[in-house]
Amino acid sequence: MSVVFEGVSFRYPEARVPALRDVSVSIRPGEVTWVFGDLGAGATTLLLVASGLAPRHTSGVLSGRVTVLGVDPATDPALQGDIAYVTASPEAQLSHVAETVSQEVAFAPANLGWPRERIWNAVGQALERAGVAQLADRHPAELSGGQLQRVVLAAMMALEPRIWILDEPASALDVSGKAMLHVLLREAASSGAVVLVASEDADAMAGVADRMIVLSEGSTILDDAPSTILSGDAVWQVCRGSTTLADLARRAGAIRPASEFCAPYPITVPEAVARWRR
Amino acid sequence: MTVLCFDRVHFGYGGRPAIDDLTLSVDAGEGVALLGPNGAGKTTAARLAMALEQPDRGEVTVAGASTRGRQPEDLAAAVGFLFQDPRAQLVERTVQLEVAFGPRALGWEESRVSGAVADVLGQLGLTEVAGSHPYDLPLPTQRLVGLGSVLVAGPRLLLLDEPTAGLDRMGRERVCRVVGQHRAKGTAVVAATHDVGFAIEALDRGILLSEGRVLADGSLAGLLDEAWDIEPPVAMAVSRALGFPPTVNRLADVARAVAALPVEAP
Repeated sequence: MSVVFEGVSFRYPEARVPALRDVSVSIRPGEVTWVFGDLGAGATTLLLVASGLAPRHTSGVLSGRVTVLGVDPATDPALQGDIAYVTASPEAQLSHVAETVSQEVAFAPANLGWPRERIWNAVGQALERAGVAQLADRHPAELSGGQLQRVVLAAMMALEPRIWILDEPASALDVSGKAMLHVLLREAASSGAVVLVASEDADAMAGVADRMIVLSEGSTILDDAPSTILSGDAVWQVCRGSTTLADLARRAGAIRPASEFCAPYPITVPEAVARWRR
Repeated sequence: MTVLCFDRVHFGYGGRPAIDDLTLSVDAGEGVALLGPNGAGKTTAARLAMALEQPDRGEVTVAGASTRGRQPEDLAAAVGFLFQDPRAQLVERTVQLEVAFGPRALGWEESRVSGAVADVLGQLGLTEVAGSHPYDLPLPTQRLVGLGSVLVAGPRLLLLDEPTAGLDRMGRERVCRVVGQHRAKGTAVVAATHDVGFAIEALDRGILLSEGRVLADGSLAGLLDEAWDIEPPVAMAVSRALGFPPTVNRLADVARAVAALPVEAP
């Protein structure tokens, strides 16, 4: 049970170069898989293809084969309600018909025809977990960007999907919102779901993800444990950056070349301090 | 010189208070981070400063004039506003036309428009996509296009709502540099942000909002040191843990201090 890419390439209409090139990768359930790369490297496209939204909603040409839980995510009705996708822009994700936050979160389960009691149980729990229970009766249009991002995450939780696909889900979240999101990702993975996240925030994801896939110009370049990739130099050869700690080490090393500033780079602040304090 | 002033401002959505007796002022060239939890009133404060909302009570003054009775377009020459969702402000067919839109609307001569547009596209690394349709670009790149279009005319006040969301390291560095350049020319920058790493690089004053009120207002580093339930930027955490002076907070400064640590005796 997973998301499988076999030789997948994808090109948007009018684009000079493909957004994905011959990607073969299998995203396993039970772990948080984090996709990282420079802007335009293909992370968002990988997520759109995995969720069946590209090319259906984006246009473009797909070659190769993508299967989710063994079937085609773009067309197979068997997956209805199994894939939850969070875009980087919460405003773009609202139903625009719900008049309250509760209705917004209930929208997808209601469309799937769940019994009323199950819907409202799921909605109540999801609002609570996302920390937005106090906003239940507010109109979604009245909310701030960060509050909306929490509501969108609540809507995802209510669905209890088997496949979680999230594009920069923390972009407007405050500290407690980020902590909530990280717990959510870990719990979803522990429950056996597939969790696929694209994020530029290497500092935050270093401690959350089990697996890191680095994309460059549409190809998968590195695929390993985040601590392995982030402590190394290879990621700096294909991306413009990784963690702040690696950046600090490299900047310090450029001023005074020394072994303590070379890879392996520290992953946590205590590691960095232990290494650099003499 | 004061560019933005809130004097005992109250504002609510449908009777629910969002801004509650807010008083603050921002001078030319200042860089202010508006911090606070989700729903604290950061975006609403920025909308009031752009005359996208009118106060229920109190007064908002921008570049010397009250926003009372004025429309956002009346402020367009003096104020640039980057929305949290940049697509809310992208209206043209190419990136180049988008960035030229404001100066043209302000009646600039064509030669001045094209020079300013080329400069801004270069500063933000957008020259290569000048001919692209903004909607064909990734969301974070759209954010850079939105930023270019609001700063091209050299506003006196720049209001930025989560300007670095989703940007990669190079994009963030470009935003930092551009903010610095405009501040040096006297533009006041107010950014609502959760990206404290960006804030400490580009800004130096912090205003912490909670439930529409000012909870703290002062040096950004000092505010982050107070641990108001805000996680400090990684470089700053390293600086504190290694006992560097409290002014050593930015990446380049922390790296210099780290490099200057005494070398272990052989």
